[in-house]
Amino acid sequence: MKKLSFDTAISFITGIFVCLIVLPMFALFTATSFGELINQFGSPLVLSAIAISLETSLIVVLLALCLGIPVAYLLAMKDFKGKEILDTLVDLPICMPPLVAGLALLILLGGNNKFGSMLSNCGIDLIFSKKGIIIAQLFVSMPFLIKSARGAFESINKNVTNASLTLGASKFYTFKKVLLPLAKNGIYAGMVMTWARALGEFGATSMVAGCIPLKTETMPVAIYQNAMSGELTSSIAIALLLLVFSFTSLLIFKSRVRGQTG
Amino acid sequence: MGIALKKISKSYNGQAVLKNLNLEINRGEFHVLLGPSGGGKTTILSVIAGLIRQDNGDVLIGKRNVSNLSPEKRKIGFVFQDYALFPHLTVFDNVAYGLRVKNVEESEINQKVEYYLSKVSIEKEKGKFSRQLSGGQKQRVALIRALITEPEILLLDEPMSNLDALTKETTGNELKTIQQEMGMTTVYVTHNQDEAILLGDRVSVLNHGEIEQIEAPDELFYHPKTEFVARFVGAKNILKVRIIEINQYGAVAQVNNSGLGQPVQIRVNKYPIFEKGKEINLCIHPEKISLKRENKASDVNLNRIRGKLINKTNNGNGLKATIDTNGMELHATIPKDLFDFKIHEDVWVCFAPDAPHPLCGKKCRAPEAGRRCLVTTQVDRLLGC
Ligand SMILES: Nc1ncnc2c1ncn2[C@@H]1O[C@H](COP(=O)(O)OP(=O)(O)OP(=O)(O)O)[C@@H](O)[C@H]1O
Ligand SMILES: [Mg+2]
Repeated sequence: MKKLSFDTAISFITGIFVCLIVLPMFALFTATSFGELINQFGSPLVLSAIAISLETSLIVVLLALCLGIPVAYLLAMKDFKGKEILDTLVDLPICMPPLVAGLALLILLGGNNKFGSMLSNCGIDLIFSKKGIIIAQLFVSMPFLIKSARGAFESINKNVTNASLTLGASKFYTFKKVLLPLAKNGIYAGMVMTWARALGEFGATSMVAGCIPLKTETMPVAIYQNAMSGELTSSIAIALLLLVFSFTSLLIFKSRVRGQTG
Repeated sequence: MGIALKKISKSYNGQAVLKNLNLEINRGEFHVLLGPSGGGKTTILSVIAGLIRQDNGDVLIGKRNVSNLSPEKRKIGFVFQDYALFPHLTVFDNVAYGLRVKNVEESEINQKVEYYLSKVSIEKEKGKFSRQLSGGQKQRVALIRALITEPEILLLDEPMSNLDALTKETTGNELKTIQQEMGMTTVYVTHNQDEAILLGDRVSVLNHGEIEQIEAPDELFYHPKTEFVARFVGAKNILKVRIIEINQYGAVAQVNNSGLGQPVQIRVNKYPIFEKGKEINLCIHPEKISLKRENKASDVNLNRIRGKLINKTNNGNGLKATIDTNGMELHATIPKDLFDFKIHEDVWVCFAPDAPHPLCGKKCRAPEAGRRCLVTTQVDRLLGC
């Protein structure tokens, strides 16, 4: 008797969880008609937001690869003083509120700061530009790549690396021909997560780059702006597209993680 | 190229794994490193290969000190305990790896890889990945992957631990043949004494990071120097004795193992290190002990100790018996067809005077020739013959 009511309670709570996730999405999908949605994709504002988001997020993925893989390699393969600290630094942006990250970047890169004014003297203006968006997105999303790649490197049998060395290969050759191919799936998974995170990034981006339509307005920023100014339909259109993107990346991620363990 | 380890020490987190270890391996030698699990065998190989940096001491290959040389420059072939094949490469590409590293022409690579594949008869598997291979096939791939670069030194870490007894013997013989053909200095790690005897030119026994004895296999097997080595090579019966008499026929020793209810006297061959009153350890191989039901006069030449059979286990073609002789346990290996005793039965444990060997160095190896016993005379018997 008791067991039954316990099981019922568990199922009931799970039901609440499912509703919590599914109902909002259902609402989003049914809020407006299909024809109206399609119309929205003709609007230059919407198209520009999509273009800016895709451009910046893809550049972020490439930058994250270049910067993240060496850090992941270091964390996975070496023991050194300060490893704990570096490890914490990698986790920090994940836990940090994006608005705080954005504010910190804004202060660092802004004209009132020595570093910022130095950059702007050299003609590099990061604030209120696409470059700013990229830096903000990179800040919050790179840890996903580092963590995933690190895990992939760590799961490689140490003796496989050693075998390559004893066969006369240099560390770099070993990295290229053994470690990278074996960590491939983990790196792909990290790229997908980084991309998804960068694409959805709102707080830090809007802090650093502002919300200048056609210039720095990314998809999430456009959703917010349009919703606040009563243009709900274009918000919904962009939101649904973002949802498609996240869903795709989730599927890719799942298949890669399975590929890695299988 | 020979290998010399000079005063190597290595510890992990303050726990010493290798302690001031010295080891010299001759050029072209097949050297077996024998020791229990966790004894530091893999650590020694890794230090030779440069995969682990020793805390102290030097590694010499030939005359050259390679202590500061990175592994890829040491010209060493390493077959890892877990084979460590590249999981993303086929058998062919695994074997070709060392040649590709050196930018060898693809046509030459083809030719060489095919040659080595056929040498260990795995041509058919060349397109497979390591997860599709059996343990024995993986082992052969790992072996030729290391051999193809023609290393001066070959390190093998328990390469046959996953093979069945039959495959083990054939593979072992193949390995030995290949090693002799190619002539590289080989260090072979195992915890299995049979492999050591089958393969080794010399065997060193490792215990807790120290080498207890280095010897040709037969010597090691029949003349272990320490209790640890004796137990490890299967001479499980260790008698702690005091020499109470030395005469022209041999010596009489009194066994005082702890737990033994009453001291027992036995006759043994005479060795140079024996002195009257001296305490010494003797070992007896289980195969040298026989069991009898009756105390026959014709067995007067044998040492006989009364005991009770307390355990027997099947060991293929023999039976391992454990006998309790008034508080001391002795082990005997008896051919099956000669064994008709029951557990708890009283038996006579018999062994010849030449069965016990003292645990000591080389100098005491050969027993001194004693006068032949004249069993019949009362005098001889009194003298302990
Ligand atoms: N990276 C490491 N960190 C800490 N301790 C280690 C490390 N590698 C080995 N050890 C310890 O060193 C000791 C010797 O290890 P080693 O692998 O050399 O033993 P082994 O003789 O090869 O054993 P086995 O026959 O089981 O392979 C063990 O007690 C092990 O726990
Ligand atoms: Mg080992």
